[in-house]
Amino acid sequence: MSQASLKMRHLAKRLSVFECRAGTASEAKVPPAFEVFEKLRAYLGTFTGSKGICELVSCALPRARAEIPWLGAVHVKADGALEGLEELGAKHNRDELFEGGIVMVAQLLGLLVAFIGQSLTLRFLREVWPEVPLDDLAISGGDENENTE
Amino acid sequence: MSNPARVTIRKLPTDVRGLDDIMGGGIPEFSFNIIAGMPGCGKTTLAHQIVFANATPKQPALYFTVLGEPALKMLRYQQQYSFFDEAKLGQAIRFSNLGDLLLEKDLNAVLEEIIRQVTAAKPKIVVVDSFRTAVRKAFSGTSEVEMQSFIQRLSQFLTSWQATTFLVGEYAVEEIRDNPVFTFVDGIFWLSQVAERNSVVRKLQIMKLRGQASVPGLHTIRISDSGVQAFSRTLGLNRSKTKTMRPRRLSCGIAELDKMLGGGILEGDSCLVAGPSGTGKSALATQFIAEGLRHGEPGIVVIFEERPHGYLQRAASFGLNLRTAQEEGTLETLYLRPLDLSVDETMQEILDAITRVGAKRLVIDSLVGFEMALAPGFRADFRESLYRMIGALTGAGVTILSTVEIEDSFTSLQFSHYAISFLTDDIIRLRYVEIDGQLRKVMVVVKMRGGNHSKDIREYVITNKGVVIIHPRRTDYTGLTTGIPQQTGPRKTQEDEAAPEAKATT
Repeated sequence: MSQASLKMRHLAKRLSVFECRAGTASEAKVPPAFEVFEKLRAYLGTFTGSKGICELVSCALPRARAEIPWLGAVHVKADGALEGLEELGAKHNRDELFEGGIVMVAQLLGLLVAFIGQSLTLRFLREVWPEVPLDDLAISGGDENENTE
Repeated sequence: MSNPARVTIRKLPTDVRGLDDIMGGGIPEFSFNIIAGMPGCGKTTLAHQIVFANATPKQPALYFTVLGEPALKMLRYQQQYSFFDEAKLGQAIRFSNLGDLLLEKDLNAVLEEIIRQVTAAKPKIVVVDSFRTAVRKAFSGTSEVEMQSFIQRLSQFLTSWQATTFLVGEYAVEEIRDNPVFTFVDGIFWLSQVAERNSVVRKLQIMKLRGQASVPGLHTIRISDSGVQAFSRTLGLNRSKTKTMRPRRLSCGIAELDKMLGGGILEGDSCLVAGPSGTGKSALATQFIAEGLRHGEPGIVVIFEERPHGYLQRAASFGLNLRTAQEEGTLETLYLRPLDLSVDETMQEILDAITRVGAKRLVIDSLVGFEMALAPGFRADFRESLYRMIGALTGAGVTILSTVEIEDSFTSLQFSHYAISFLTDDIIRLRYVEIDGQLRKVMVVVKMRGGNHSKDIREYVITNKGVVIIHPRRTDYTGLTTGIPQQTGPRKTQEDEAAPEAKATT
């Protein structure tokens, strides 16, 4: 399992920092650190349906677990949501949760970039987070697609 | 009292090259259509192209996917096409997956969700992809009446909300008769593909289109980097201007041949030069195009058996400088060896070139090469398509000289293995004859539709000036057209010719 690329981590971190500051909670009750993941999942679900997003998240989670072993306590539900997140709040501190959320989002973004390319991925992110500046992150530099090996 | 005004049905552009012409101007606004065909025909690509052409943030497109290919996967592939504009995603083009609703509930829930989203977005275009999968899943085991009722409700709702709708689905031809969806829709876009030997032939047919006349029949389509392109059977030439009433005579660059033609080829004629290999058909065609350039008439040379470089070099060996004209943009040499193109696509390339340079003269060298360059599946349409193109181009005033290779029979004079009379106004026949122990060449003008012409059979040679007619008609031989003439008059003294034809060097 590969680590989330630095570019994807930067991207995920920026979105997570924005979410934490903005404090805009999604409908699902998830720890703030996983708010980005939840919004991204809901948005992508309109394109893929539950089955599609479930498969995407199911692919991202084991990759994230390789970096954050305690994500082993989390499972993917049929609609792609993560089950067991609420319990994690009692076991891990805020920083650990924040890091876990970033890795999970970074892995999901990595898969997305590999599948639809950087340009369209950024387009989607701008749709969900129009206030977050993303141009300076230059995720389009380097390889055309994320290496998902 | 004046008649009340009829409703004006506006037409939406498809952004599919050639398709608006085929449809009689575009897609009727607020129409309820189906894009049908077997997998791999280009249904989804066509739908996307129409969506990208018409969707704006103010008048968006809603693209519903139901149990078919998920939108994310579509976008992975569709972004490869040049029409794909990612800036339109989100505001102007909104994807929505309804598969979960269908799986968890029923088609009524799907309809309700469509109604909810359409009511909120007021879209200009709505696509349901794949409609067939959705309906088949939802109505397995239910009555046809229920299905009809659903389709009718969907159609009425979307039309009332002034959306132009496309249902995309995989259907077989035999379903058209029994499937009620084909009764309800206003337009049926039928796509098909057939693999023949090493080529794939894709076709489009507008099987039904309420309210406007479309071009009937099968039209070739191609899926390229630009998406779907359609090639109308009319080649978009219906609106070409008609031939001038009193056409000029155009010199073909060989003074004696001009005389034989009664002063030259009539402007807007289609002239066929037929003869066996080595008789100078290409040389004559080159002289024709060069003469036009000399008179300020841009030209197109379409070659199939020779590469442009070689063609220009051979012209130069006749003292004809075509390279400068090419550099100046008054001449284009098209080398077409596509091997899997349709005749209509090839002709479209020719037409594009004619428009680009404003060509007055066109050389097709040769018709045999043209036919051979086509995919086998398209050869059946060759003569019909050629007929349409020649008719339309000559009607617009372009003068065409085509060459055709035929085998010489030494018993009769064959004009061509094509039925050519309908293709050509004028025919010049070249052939070999055996005279005085030499294989010589003669030419005769067989036919000139627009005027009188010489009946003489004239001997010619090919020199470093091209085709040169060298003798007046021969009265000392009969049976020249057979190739083995009989001497009837006294033998003329002649000098031995070491090399009767100074062979052109390339």
